[in-house]
Amino acid sequence: MSFSTFTTPTGFLLPSVHSAPPFFTQQPYPGTNATVTEQWITLILAYARHRKLFVLRVEDAEITDNDWQEVVRNERINRKLLPSYLSSIIATMVSKNLATYDPPGQTRSALLYWRLPEEWAEVLHGWAISTGQLNTILTFYEIADPPIPSPLSNIPINLLRKAIAVLAKTGRSQLIAVADGEGVRLFQGK
Amino acid sequence: MTLRRCSRSVDGTIPIQALLYNDEELLSSQEGVGIYDGAQKSPNHQSGTIHVTTHRLFYLSAHRASSYSLAVDLSCISQTDYYAGLFKSSAKVTLHISVAVTSPGDSGPNDGPDTPFESWECGVCAYRNPPGLSPAAARICGLCGIPRDSFPAAASPHQLSTSLPTSTSLPSLLPPSAPSSSSGTLRRQPNAIACPACTFLNHPSLRECEICTTELPQAASLGMKSAPSSRPASPDPSDDEEAAAARLIKISFRKGGDKAFYAVLRRSLKSKAWAIGASTTAPGDTSGAGSGITGILRTVESSAQERASGMNDAFQDLEALMVKAKDMVRLAADLNERLTASSASSAAEPEAATFIRSSLSQLGLQMADAPVTQDMASDEQRWMAQLARELASVLKGLMRERGVIALDEVWGGWNRARGVALLPPSTLLQVVPHLPQYTDPTIVTRTFPSGLRVLHTPPYAPAAFAARLAQLLAEQPKTITEIASKEKVAVGLAAELVGELEGEGGVCRDDEACMIRGGGAEVRFWGNVFKGYVWDGQEKERDEVVY
Repeated sequence: MSFSTFTTPTGFLLPSVHSAPPFFTQQPYPGTNATVTEQWITLILAYARHRKLFVLRVEDAEITDNDWQEVVRNERINRKLLPSYLSSIIATMVSKNLATYDPPGQTRSALLYWRLPEEWAEVLHGWAISTGQLNTILTFYEIADPPIPSPLSNIPINLLRKAIAVLAKTGRSQLIAVADGEGVRLFQGK
Repeated sequence: MTLRRCSRSVDGTIPIQALLYNDEELLSSQEGVGIYDGAQKSPNHQSGTIHVTTHRLFYLSAHRASSYSLAVDLSCISQTDYYAGLFKSSAKVTLHISVAVTSPGDSGPNDGPDTPFESWECGVCAYRNPPGLSPAAARICGLCGIPRDSFPAAASPHQLSTSLPTSTSLPSLLPPSAPSSSSGTLRRQPNAIACPACTFLNHPSLRECEICTTELPQAASLGMKSAPSSRPASPDPSDDEEAAAARLIKISFRKGGDKAFYAVLRRSLKSKAWAIGASTTAPGDTSGAGSGITGILRTVESSAQERASGMNDAFQDLEALMVKAKDMVRLAADLNERLTASSASSAAEPEAATFIRSSLSQLGLQMADAPVTQDMASDEQRWMAQLARELASVLKGLMRERGVIALDEVWGGWNRARGVALLPPSTLLQVVPHLPQYTDPTIVTRTFPSGLRVLHTPPYAPAAFAARLAQLLAEQPKTITEIASKEKVAVGLAAELVGELEGEGGVCRDDEACMIRGGGAEVRFWGNVFKGYVWDGQEKERDEVVY
């Protein structure tokens, strides 16, 4: 039995395993389940990177019409991901540090690390250098919603804060309180 | 007339044994007899069976047994004659009926048909006397021996249901034209006088009704009193005219057996069991015991002793039977062996041999080889080996069409095949490891993750089954039920087999609960489509960061 890949309307190439009905069932045996969940994590992160999606909720498997439709449902084989299984996938991602519950203290919604905070830190630093904004004070909004689209566009503030914290460890950033909230000053560093 | 007066109708469809009193005994029977009422043949009683008991003479009619059968109390027979028969006239026994007994009284045959079949409580010792004793025996308390009449009998006679044999007699005796209301009333309370206005039953000494003061019909009631409506007047005057000859009944023996029967009848009449019945046959032998507390205690004691000894006898019989049973089994095995040997030489089995075999199997004694019991084998190891061999032959039948069988079924099947000397499950567990040496193809045991233990043939070894299932599922994913029918195993067993394979990653499942439209509770099994899967989706994009 062979399955084929499929390109979605948003231009994402779904893997062939996404056309296999058993892929959508939570396998009761740990060995098989680990393999399948691994594939789901790869798929979710690849899709999140493709669509620049930062947040995955358990509700995404419950309601239609959301950003994750192309992944959590497969109309061609009449299968969908059950919320219970999605919840368990998210839990696995959190345990592997590929996501974090956001806001913390609940398990229904998670922030996806298709780039780790360390990687985001490098992206932020590189962006500041390339746009000549070192040593100036930047508000979070200026970073997350720049006039010219950047890799950092739409980055959640919580993730941004983590990236800044990483930079601060190497002395390349400094959090500053400004009039309407918080700001950051980035340095060249060593 | 005589016949009707001295006899009591019984339901002849009931077997004779069920008609007897508890203390009555059947002595002899003779079929093919007819009855003469006086000098004439009694038209309704010309073909039947006569039974003589310690208390009564029964005539059970061959046709219309329910209405033409009757019983005569031996107590009302005063004399008997025997006539040997001549030419075409068959042998006859003549019974002279004594008048005294037929007069109304509590022992009269037509009177109080309920008396033998009611239980009553003794007014002295409060012992509840059981129903079913003969009238004489029933008049005396079975425990303390006090006669029932010595205290007001009205205590509380517990009537049994009216469906008992003798109580069915009345309707057939009653003339259909009899005024049913008055006769019914009189039967229940012979002395009471029914008020013509309000029907209240007044005491016989009253002249006016107790309720409505209507004058009571004295004369009429007195006439009724001495002669219940079911009987044609009082016997005396008319009987005198009829002469003594009329007061006899003849039994005509048309099929012989007369001499033997007459002898028995004489003996029974002589022994007068009906008169002494009360003292000799009442529960417990009270003859030696005086009355009073000591008597009661002795009665109770002796009846307990009787029961204990009876029980002992029964157990001894059982033990003897068990000893004999062993011989029986050996004999059966021997017979079977010989039959097999003889049938091997000649092609067709003789009819007798087939009959013996079928009767042996009906007795549960048919065995190709007798079950192995521990005393047949010299030591534990050989016993195990023999058991394993026996089990192997049983399994050959049990697993003819199946590759997997649960241990419980094996145990049940094995013991059923053995029939005797059943084995406990623990022995089965001990024998199972020896099985591979005695089976071909080898049958081995296997324990599923759930703890279920089965025996299986090589095709159901895990690797072989996995390969076969993979092939099966490659064609099309299947539910457990479909797998079970394909593999010809029970659904539960199939679930265990697949479950074990699933645990090893051999198969994966597709739950219909995950369907977007429709969806049920079925689970389909697939070959493991994830094994060796390499990501073939969107390439992981290079870090496309644009500075």
